[in-house]
Amino acid sequence: MATVAPTRQAEASGQPAGPRTRARRSGDGVAGYLFLSPWILGVLLLTIGPMLTSLYLSFTDYNLFTAPEWVGLDNYKRMFEDARWLKSVQVTAIYVAVAVPVKLAAALAVAVLLNNKRKGQGFYRAAFYGPSLIGASVSLAIVWKALFTDDAVVDRMLRVVGINTGGWAGNPDFSLMMLVLLGAWQLGAPMVIFLAGLKQVPVELHEAAHVDGAGRWLRFRAITLPMISPVVFFNLLLETINAFQVFTSAYIVGGPNGSPAGTTLFYTIYLYDRGFSDFRMGYASAMAWMLLLGVGLITLFLFRTARGWVYYSGDRR
Amino acid sequence: MGVMKRFTTVLAAASLVFAGAACGGDGEAESGPVTLRYSWWGNADRAALVQKAIDLFQTKNPNIKVTPSFQEFEAYWQKMATDTAGGNAPDVLQMDFAYLREYADRGALYDLKKQEGQNLDTGDLLEGLKGAGEVDDGLYAVPVAGNTWGYVYSPAAYATAGVPEPKLGWTWTDYRSAMEKITKSTGGKVYGGGNYIGTYYNLEVQLRQEGKLLYTEDGKLGFDKPRLAKFFEEGKQLADAKIVLPVEKGVQIKPKFALELDLIAGDLGWDNFMTRYAAATKTELKLGPVPSDNPAQLGQYLKPSMLMSVSAKSDHPEQSAKLIDFFINDPEAGQILGANRGIPATNAQRAAVKLEGPFAAVAAYEESIKGQLEKAPPAPPKGAGTIEQSFIRISEELQYGRISVDQAVDQFFTEANETLES
Repeated sequence: MATVAPTRQAEASGQPAGPRTRARRSGDGVAGYLFLSPWILGVLLLTIGPMLTSLYLSFTDYNLFTAPEWVGLDNYKRMFEDARWLKSVQVTAIYVAVAVPVKLAAALAVAVLLNNKRKGQGFYRAAFYGPSLIGASVSLAIVWKALFTDDAVVDRMLRVVGINTGGWAGNPDFSLMMLVLLGAWQLGAPMVIFLAGLKQVPVELHEAAHVDGAGRWLRFRAITLPMISPVVFFNLLLETINAFQVFTSAYIVGGPNGSPAGTTLFYTIYLYDRGFSDFRMGYASAMAWMLLLGVGLITLFLFRTARGWVYYSGDRR
Repeated sequence: MGVMKRFTTVLAAASLVFAGAACGGDGEAESGPVTLRYSWWGNADRAALVQKAIDLFQTKNPNIKVTPSFQEFEAYWQKMATDTAGGNAPDVLQMDFAYLREYADRGALYDLKKQEGQNLDTGDLLEGLKGAGEVDDGLYAVPVAGNTWGYVYSPAAYATAGVPEPKLGWTWTDYRSAMEKITKSTGGKVYGGGNYIGTYYNLEVQLRQEGKLLYTEDGKLGFDKPRLAKFFEEGKQLADAKIVLPVEKGVQIKPKFALELDLIAGDLGWDNFMTRYAAATKTELKLGPVPSDNPAQLGQYLKPSMLMSVSAKSDHPEQSAKLIDFFINDPEAGQILGANRGIPATNAQRAAVKLEGPFAAVAAYEESIKGQLEKAPPAPPKGAGTIEQSFIRISEELQYGRISVDQAVDQFFTEANETLES
């Protein structure tokens, strides 16, 4: 004990580290890991462990009750012959392709509006961010569904302008759109990031262009967009990955069968249904790994294309 | 000093993590009262009744404490699957006929034969329900209530449309024409009924009326593709002619039923649902017989509407058996629960229950067709729950016009066979 105390004092007084101190540091390392242990245990037991288990299970037939049985690549092969799996891929792909651009465009538009200085700015920002705070809540999805049933708010408003679709919750042509709108409504997170990006755009560029006679739209397209392209890319990546994992709202609206008529059978819903209703954990695990693979490939693809359109200031390519 | 102190802090932190993990086990010691976990499905109305019955059980058995928990049907089975797989199944669980074989075959249930005559008396069960919980010579569940298929309808709607009220001997053609007349009489404001092809048991009833079964004794599908095509075709015509509740309505009101919202004038279903409908609507409702094209054969049986099982992993099978015994035999328990879960499964409880209103209607209905009720079929094969879900989903797509009758039939057979083979 006695040897330790002076070292600590030495350290505190800023003396250069000697050999003795280094020995002390290795002790610090152990303590550091011990302090980290709740987190390390969490990662090992709650993330890496289950992931490896699910990787193993994906090569087995496992019904939750009896021991898993090795079947090799069967689960993966079967997916491509499974009509519902293909359907769920289709639904999810359409959703991602529509929901992500819609949400990003809405978030950017709102961010541009909120970037202007005006009275009550804080209030507006909070108001637009609000819906994102509720997140993937069950009650929100229930309310959303109620808004889109026969003779509810949306149906009535549409009829005023002469559009008669009935309740979207029961109409296979519109059910997915209803979830796209729900996603777009929760635009808070990308909006805040866009707003931060917009603040970084140098004012002098705008002023110079303005002097040269460039209009608002041209300035937005030629200056703002390129300048915030890294932020656009970041948001695109994040929202794409999130969109692949939609679950709660879709489950509340469409249930395990993806009602109406399978139009909301998201990949995650089908995965859950196979695993927990049909007791096919092996198949469900294989599906999860396919999803990971798919999202990984798309992320990689986005990174590749990013070289062509994302501009980092200070980049001298 | 400092290191020592830090080290203990870390140890304390680490031990907290482990303590958290260790808490999951069964902490109950041998001495003192035994705690049973009991899971069931239902809604808040039923929860109040079940709690009342449990309170009574605890008064009568001061050494047993019961902690109940409940979900809606679908969520219940999803939770039960994970709990059972994780070795965390409750001691006593409510069982459905469609899942009985699934759980029994996989060794998840305790064989109650070992408790029969000691803590559990099954002698007083109604004739039609005896043996309903048996799978391959083991007793894996005990029916607590029974129900049968019926037709709940509003006599006023029939009167308005000028259609005679259904009585024994009416046929499926009569049924369809009644639907049409009622829908026309209201101008489509109230439909004659729901589309009966959306419900798997309507197919079973039709099959049984023809002397066939939904599942054969060896657990295969009891019908072929042309038979299913005929069934789907009937419903498709009803849907196309818009004389039954449109599927998009049905989808939007879930989890409520059309009869609860006065959207239809009547529907085929389990007779104990009469009590649920009656609680939700002010419209006067009656229970009538199921249509049949075969006057000698209604195709009906007394189905165990709910059973109770004991988990194979339970540490307290004796006490669990006692709880089941209480639920099926105790007259007071019968009085508390009434016909909420179906008509009580034992003679003693049936005698003890003073049924009123819709409950009395259910009992009178069952009495009226007593002679026509057949013995329940053997417990459905493994995967029956999944197959029913396939059926509901495919029928929905058909009603939406997204797939043809032939496609629907092919899809159902592909999925059902895949489920049965696995």
